[in-house]
Amino acid sequence: MMKVVFQGLILVFLFFGLWFLMDKVDWINLFRIEKLTYKTEQKLGNVFWDAIIKTENELTEKEVVLAVDNMMSNVCIANNINTTNIKTHLIRKDEVNAFALPGGHLIIYTGLINKVENPEELLGVICHELAHIELQHVKKKLLKEIGLSVLLSITTGNAGSEIIQETVKQLSSSSFDRRLEKEADIKSVDYLIAANVNPKPFSDFLNRIAEDSPEIDKNFSWISTHPDSKERARYILEYSQKHKGQYVQVMSIVAWDQLKQKIAE
Amino acid sequence: MQLLVSKHIVTEHEAEAASNSYLMSLIAIIGGLPLPIVNLIATVIFYFGNRKSTWFVRWHCTQALLSQLSLFLMNSYGFWWTIAIAFTEKEISGNYIAYLITIFIFNIVEFVATIFTAIQTRKGKHVEWWFYSSLTNLVCKA
Repeated sequence: MMKVVFQGLILVFLFFGLWFLMDKVDWINLFRIEKLTYKTEQKLGNVFWDAIIKTENELTEKEVVLAVDNMMSNVCIANNINTTNIKTHLIRKDEVNAFALPGGHLIIYTGLINKVENPEELLGVICHELAHIELQHVKKKLLKEIGLSVLLSITTGNAGSEIIQETVKQLSSSSFDRRLEKEADIKSVDYLIAANVNPKPFSDFLNRIAEDSPEIDKNFSWISTHPDSKERARYILEYSQKHKGQYVQVMSIVAWDQLKQKIAE
Repeated sequence: MQLLVSKHIVTEHEAEAASNSYLMSLIAIIGGLPLPIVNLIATVIFYFGNRKSTWFVRWHCTQALLSQLSLFLMNSYGFWWTIAIAFTEKEISGNYIAYLITIFIFNIVEFVATIFTAIQTRKGKHVEWWFYSSLTNLVCKA
């Protein structure tokens, strides 16, 4: 019996030893397997952003951009996220939408800022998109839905503008799968708590839009691409209640009103 | 691997049945290459079909089955890993390629050993594999 156990162990050791040794070889480079690297992701993000800017109207008003950037920076610093990797863009559009592009581009439509009732609600949505970026969901989604070869052809300039536009449309108007959405929701709560921001308003926002859902029209992209808002609001609240903390105001009421006013102008 | 002279005289029918138990897994490789379970099922069916046969046949059916069982575990893990890469967000990694090469080497060794054993048992010779023969001796009593 001992002989069998001993020989069995040697065989197991041989298997894992061989695997370990094989793992020491850089097969990815040796076989020249193409992967979506950080550099290609940056390139992709720039191509998509260029496509967006051609058709959309970017809001460049210094005060508004600075206010949103400040909110973002606070969250990033509290969560050890490199702020230079995140590029926030504000787009003048009535659609209630925010979405992430590869390469850390975060697009926020003014329609969303108009729809939220306070800066905490806005920061909740922003943190959700930030989580998609940080958890590499954008990359995963693109690889799954578009495919590596198309993505690489976009970065090398071999893809037509129609493909680029279609991919941007896909990123801005379709959701991630349920598991990734939940992962981003939970991560966004972690981000908010680390930045001493109350996650409850984010949950309230989801609840409110769930009640508004019969009136959802084409201007409500973020909601239609993020279904089950009520369920999401429930687990966000449940998760955030596990962490008791002292929360601070993201922005003074006066500053928030000014921001909204600037956008309305 | 040890090539031994059988303790008792092996009949033509016994030698053929014992040799077939190894050939069964080879035929199954050709038939169901992408699905590792096919090899195992083929050897399991052959094993149960020869349960009441002579010790020589039963012994080789058991050795073939046990060797297939360990290969099945290795190949299955590789199979589901590949499925995960193809259909989920998992990516090809160096570790994955290293695993595939490792199981490929194990499969090749097993393949060569299986052919060799099938030929030898057909001649009535008793072939004992390292580790598997000891395990088979525990399972298959004379």
